[in-house]
Amino acid sequence: MATRFIVRRFAQAALTIFLIVLVNFVLFRAMPGSPERILARNPNVSPEAIQQTRERWGIDKPLIPDQLIAYVGATFRGDLGNSFGQRGRPVTEVVGSHLGPTLLLFGLGEILAIVIGLALGAYAGWRRGGAVDLVGNGVSLILYSMPYFLLGMTLLLIFASTLHWFPSFGMTTLGVAHDSPLEYLADLSAHLVLPVATVALGLIGQYSILMRSSIIETMSDEYITTARAKGISETRVLRGHALPNAMLPTVSLIAINLGYVVAGAITVEVVFNWPGLGTLTVDALKSRDYPVLQGIFLVLSISVVFANLGADMIYGRLDPRVRA
Amino acid sequence: MTTPAATMDAAAPAPRAREASLVRRLIARPDGLAGLVILVFFVVLAAIPELLVGPLQTATTATGGRLQPPSLEFPLGTDEIGRSILNLTVHGARISMVIGFLATLITVFIGGVIGIVGGFAGGKLDSVLMRITDFFLVLPTFVLALILAPIIADVIGSGSSVLGIRTTLIVIVIVVGITSWASTARILRAQALSLKERPFVDRARVIGAGRLHIVRQHILPNVVNLIVANAVLVFAGAVLTETTLSFVGLGDPFQPSWGQLLNAAEDVGAANLGAWWYFVPPGACIVLVVFAFTLLGTALDDLLNPRRRERR
Repeated sequence: MATRFIVRRFAQAALTIFLIVLVNFVLFRAMPGSPERILARNPNVSPEAIQQTRERWGIDKPLIPDQLIAYVGATFRGDLGNSFGQRGRPVTEVVGSHLGPTLLLFGLGEILAIVIGLALGAYAGWRRGGAVDLVGNGVSLILYSMPYFLLGMTLLLIFASTLHWFPSFGMTTLGVAHDSPLEYLADLSAHLVLPVATVALGLIGQYSILMRSSIIETMSDEYITTARAKGISETRVLRGHALPNAMLPTVSLIAINLGYVVAGAITVEVVFNWPGLGTLTVDALKSRDYPVLQGIFLVLSISVVFANLGADMIYGRLDPRVRA
Repeated sequence: MTTPAATMDAAAPAPRAREASLVRRLIARPDGLAGLVILVFFVVLAAIPELLVGPLQTATTATGGRLQPPSLEFPLGTDEIGRSILNLTVHGARISMVIGFLATLITVFIGGVIGIVGGFAGGKLDSVLMRITDFFLVLPTFVLALILAPIIADVIGSGSSVLGIRTTLIVIVIVVGITSWASTARILRAQALSLKERPFVDRARVIGAGRLHIVRQHILPNVVNLIVANAVLVFAGAVLTETTLSFVGLGDPFQPSWGQLLNAAEDVGAANLGAWWYFVPPGACIVLVVFAFTLLGTALDDLLNPRRRERR
């Protein structure tokens, strides 16, 4: 791959991350309640004490550059301040402890959705107008119109509270000591089924719609006609010619859509009481825990930027034209 | 409540004959017709909720028991304080649709200005604007919206109302507007960019027309179609975002939208209690409205988007 392409993409990603930190800085200043305003409400606090507080928190210095440099520096050192709630624990610690469950839930859902969604979309587009296409397209559109949490509530109602097939909340059964790692894994898997199914189903709709239109567009290209004219079998035309080219736009669209998907993942966690970043977000929102909210925003945005960077690298590998 | 069809009538400069044929071509398509029918149904619900189910029930005017399943008296059951779910859902239509509509206006306005200015001006201004647009396109804007909402609420003050709409809802409108304009800006920039190179714009420039005149007389009329098709799709997204924001607790319990109802249902654990009647009605409404707007938006896009037309 051409180094110029890689360097440019990395520079763009770095700029985006810097902008995200900048947005966070501005939001921090716009937030309601600064220490001096709270102190000023008390008439017994002397101006000297207020001045001391200002100096202690560094807000006596000008916003730009002093405060900005201090903020950016602290952010890159991993110091995101302390949580308002949670007994003032560092934000990095609070956010970090919720990262694992989200990665597990979301990673599994995403992998399932990519495999099933792309296969479904490709087949539907290939056999355009067939039974799979008609049914799949309708179902995909409805899934696409459905907020994730609604899907989650429906699955919860059917498979947990009515049929009792799966547990309804949390990552593991509360108050149960697992005798062996295997037992723990079984318990975890049972708790994973419904939330993962929700995330996957929500995404399958989107991905299959994308893949379907991409395949249909590719199929009208001339090299497909050429391949068919050469007498190559239909499945080989699909596998060798149409699929690789139809994958290209889908890869980048999946990456671009990640930012929206994050919103859905947050609400799925709320429905299933999954102890990840989504539940943390809603808890932080209820207690107006701004530092934690900003920490989540930072972590999620940077992950999306890196996912996009990854998609660009894959794209560059798949499509030789991009490298130039 | 103005329907997108009505907005289109008012905005498009084309003669009425072409308008009529557009509606006819829309109705001729199954997706266009289905979208339009569902939409008209919900616009009627939003317009006259009092006539259908009486005034919005509150904690003091509730008549039913706690979480009653559907019965003759309460066709869709009751919530945890005994209000009729049918009453709440029908009244939710107006609130959800109005929020969606206002948020769409802001989104399309911001996206339109940034896209058209960027595409038409070109150069440094364009690349700066598009950097910002790309930034918003990549960002998980929903999380940004979550942080912005309480800050904006603090700035404009909560509890009061503007034009009869409570500020909690205004906050949602603003937040949705400023976080979801990026794709509109991208689409309109591409169109403005290609229009700029057309001969009639060159001619106007040669005879000494000013930039503002060219944008108003030559660019805008040619992107109106695109704006309408995009606005319909933006509306679907706005309803979804409003629903999600309300679901995580940023809605207004005194003016319940569908999202707010779902939030209340989640808070009492309706899905765990088997109280399907609490969340299925508002949920179905959301899915139907978003579905209808997506169908309508795609149909309009097919009919109006010049790039799509050429491909056919």
